[in-house]
Amino acid sequence: MIYLAELTGNVEVIGKGLMLGAGMIGPGIGVGLIGNAFMNAVGRNPESAKFLGQIMVFVAIVELMALLVFASLFIIK
Amino acid sequence: MNLLFSAGDIGPPVHITPSPIFEIAGWQISNSIFYGWIVSIFLIIILFVASIRSAIHPKGGFVQIVETGTEFIVDLLKNSLGSRLKAVKYAPYFTAIFFFIALSNLLGLLPILGEAFTIHENPAFRPFTADLNGTLAASLVSLAMVQYFAIKESGPIRHLKHYFSGNLINPLTYIAGIYELFAEVVRLFSLALRLFLNIAIGEIIISVFAYLGKFAAPITALPFLALEVGVAVLQAYIFVMLTVTYLSLAIKHSDTSDHEFEEKLVHTMQSQKLAK
Repeated sequence: MIYLAELTGNVEVIGKGLMLGAGMIGPGIGVGLIGNAFMNAVGRNPESAKFLGQIMVFVAIVELMALLVFASLFIIK
Repeated sequence: MNLLFSAGDIGPPVHITPSPIFEIAGWQISNSIFYGWIVSIFLIIILFVASIRSAIHPKGGFVQIVETGTEFIVDLLKNSLGSRLKAVKYAPYFTAIFFFIALSNLLGLLPILGEAFTIHENPAFRPFTADLNGTLAASLVSLAMVQYFAIKESGPIRHLKHYFSGNLINPLTYIAGIYELFAEVVRLFSLALRLFLNIAIGEIIISVFAYLGKFAAPITALPFLALEVGVAVLQAYIFVMLTVTYLSLAIKHSDTSDHEFEEKLVHTMQSQKLAK
């Protein structure tokens, strides 16, 4: 079998690196947007600082995606 | 494992899954469920003593911590469900699950866990919440309790109408209802995976940084240990918060149609005018 291009060496490291790098983009943007919205709201209305608990819940929801990526780092062989 | 940190050593000890440590009558007992039993016994003793020793003017000690946690959960329920009466009604279950998860997470940070004690080269203890089976069981019980509370609150037919709301002749109602039922399964797995991944990855991060620090391991691992103490309580809060949100969605105005809502609105507006 003739390959057009062949990857030799430690392919696992490249794959894991790509997975970690690409997978963290989404959650990073998501947590940034949540923080942005929260700081905007606090800037407009300082009373809304009491919603920090709810913000943590939303951060946890977004964070799940990042954690899935990080866990698959150890699960995939 | 030395692919991650090509230092040439064996790498940090990383466990994603629990490992069986002994057998009782053909049932394999894993280290996580074993530690879960220890935590449960500890929690039962703590809550039992706290229930006896709680007073109007607490003298401090752990009883006060238990009271603060209980009050915190009651407040959270009150904000979500609307009234303190309902909050006190549902508080026992949610307080119990909050303390169980928080205590499992916090006791999971003790240095006796991990490679400190081993049985057949497996760690003897593992936090109950760092096991997908454990968190799946916790979320399954929580969502089953939500269904039970909702059926008890509004009756089985009205609870089903919550899923299949609208005209029953319209086939779109059934599609939306099946989608709603599927969302319950998604909730189950998202609750379980969130708790499991947060705690398991916290363990891994501590172990990785203790390994990278070599002789300075206490200094490098300490900030992450402190972070994990916060995450432990925060994850218990998030678990309870999301379950309470599902409960409040399930029992809130489960069968108020638009017409009734308009009537209520007109009624309240009229009473406000009369008050003026």
